[in-house]
Amino acid sequence: MSPAATSVLLAVVVALVKGILIIFVLATTFAYLTLAERKISARIQLRFGPNRVGPFGFLQPAADAVKLFLKEKAAPEGRDHFLYLLAPALAAAAALFAFATIPVNQTICIGGTGGAGPLSASCPGGYPLHWDLAHLNVGLLFILAVTSLGVYAIFLGGWASNSKYSLLGALRSSAQLISYEMAVSFALVGPILLAGSLNLEAIVGQQHSLWFVFLQPLGFLLYFTAGLAETNRLPFDLPEAEAELVAGYHTEYAGMRFGLFFMAEYINMITVSSIATVMFLGGWMAPLWFLPNWLGPLWFGAKVGLLLFIMIWVRWTFPRLRYDRLMQFGWKVLLPLGLANILVTAVFVAVR
Amino acid sequence: MTVIFGLAALLAFLGGVGVVTSRRTLYAALSLVLNMVALAVLFLLLDAQFLAAVQIIVYAGAVMVLFVFIIALLAPGAEERVRPLELRVLLGGLAAVVFTVVVGRLTLNGITVGPNGQLHGGLGPFNPVTVNAHGQVQTLGEQLFTTFLLPFEVTSVLLLVAAVGAVYLSRRRRPGEEE
Repeated sequence: MSPAATSVLLAVVVALVKGILIIFVLATTFAYLTLAERKISARIQLRFGPNRVGPFGFLQPAADAVKLFLKEKAAPEGRDHFLYLLAPALAAAAALFAFATIPVNQTICIGGTGGAGPLSASCPGGYPLHWDLAHLNVGLLFILAVTSLGVYAIFLGGWASNSKYSLLGALRSSAQLISYEMAVSFALVGPILLAGSLNLEAIVGQQHSLWFVFLQPLGFLLYFTAGLAETNRLPFDLPEAEAELVAGYHTEYAGMRFGLFFMAEYINMITVSSIATVMFLGGWMAPLWFLPNWLGPLWFGAKVGLLLFIMIWVRWTFPRLRYDRLMQFGWKVLLPLGLANILVTAVFVAVR
Repeated sequence: MTVIFGLAALLAFLGGVGVVTSRRTLYAALSLVLNMVALAVLFLLLDAQFLAAVQIIVYAGAVMVLFVFIIALLAPGAEERVRPLELRVLLGGLAAVVFTVVVGRLTLNGITVGPNGQLHGGLGPFNPVTVNAHGQVQTLGEQLFTTFLLPFEVTSVLLLVAAVGAVYLSRRRRPGEEE
């Protein structure tokens, strides 16, 4: 085999292995995130939560999965057949795809000279192992692009269901996602300006002495708040306000079709937490100076876990906003604050 | 590379055909989304990562979402069939031919075809090597704010005018209507 063909084959195999690994890890985290949500909510409300299936309820996710797969796939009359089936698949695909450029560790040089550098630049004679599926220079923009396609899944799902609750939920959801997307992007401009790069690995590399959360506290708060809204979490879960809209855009979905929407929501939570970790919390860097840096993925996972816990905690602490207040908050509070943050950061970077 | 190019080009083509042939307006809009995403893949193959990301964020993620939104809300009926030899069909066909010739001519600028059908051409100042060495976003930003500053500012004024116009139209009250 020629060297070129070998390198193509190697790239394909590596990408396949990474892709399967990412899907496996995300699906497992999703399953246990649902359990964590139920356990933590139960503790907050002085209940026990699921504790019958396996020790401490650890097999509950498996039981849930079996239930979702075996349930009757009831579907509404007068639906748009193609879009009704496309929407859940699109939701799950967009959620999984967004994870492709998130680096969970620094590039490691296998063989060759150069050693483990902070960046992918040098690895002569060896194979640079990137800890993300696609090592793009515009990794952050890629994530924003893919997550912006998730709106289609929600809107088409609600529209194709031929139900007024679904349609109203879908309308609210899409309007909310579009509005808060601006706030998310604006909040992320701060770290980008400080790092001078859109490459996620380079952005983490810039934080080796000081995490950006200490330079961008406002940016972090803005991002996390807008991120809660982007993932339709309380106090911004208007799209599925059960008292008014039954279950919002996925009212008419059952079985695993509903399961895919459900999975997409939880994986989006993981993605938002991962982006916050990469952009503000120093990614794979050890949280304290005396801890070893080579445990990168572990530190990454711990930081993501902490943010996920806060997301669940917030859900059981704050009441839901009214819809007009939600829109006002997004456009009149988050957006101007984000703009001001960009302005201050830009001046700071320019005079530095 | 060739396989991915073939797939993306096929999808882009199918999307384009879908826009024209779909009888239901929502499907036509969704075909356009497919076309745009496939175009973004083609940009990626051309080493233009930034352009690919922006193509999806701006066109597929923002503009087309509003299109789909409005189509689904206004629920227009199926399109009327046009007769093949109507004047607008002929005019549209003529426009398509002119557009193809102009774009093809511009693309082939400075490219010569060798005896065995292979293409030869010189690299301009902004080729993948120089752009990647300097950084894609950096190059684009610098050019946008130096060489192309005037067109850039004029475009932003145009957008501002459109936004002001939209606000004016939506806020206008008919005579006798209460605030």
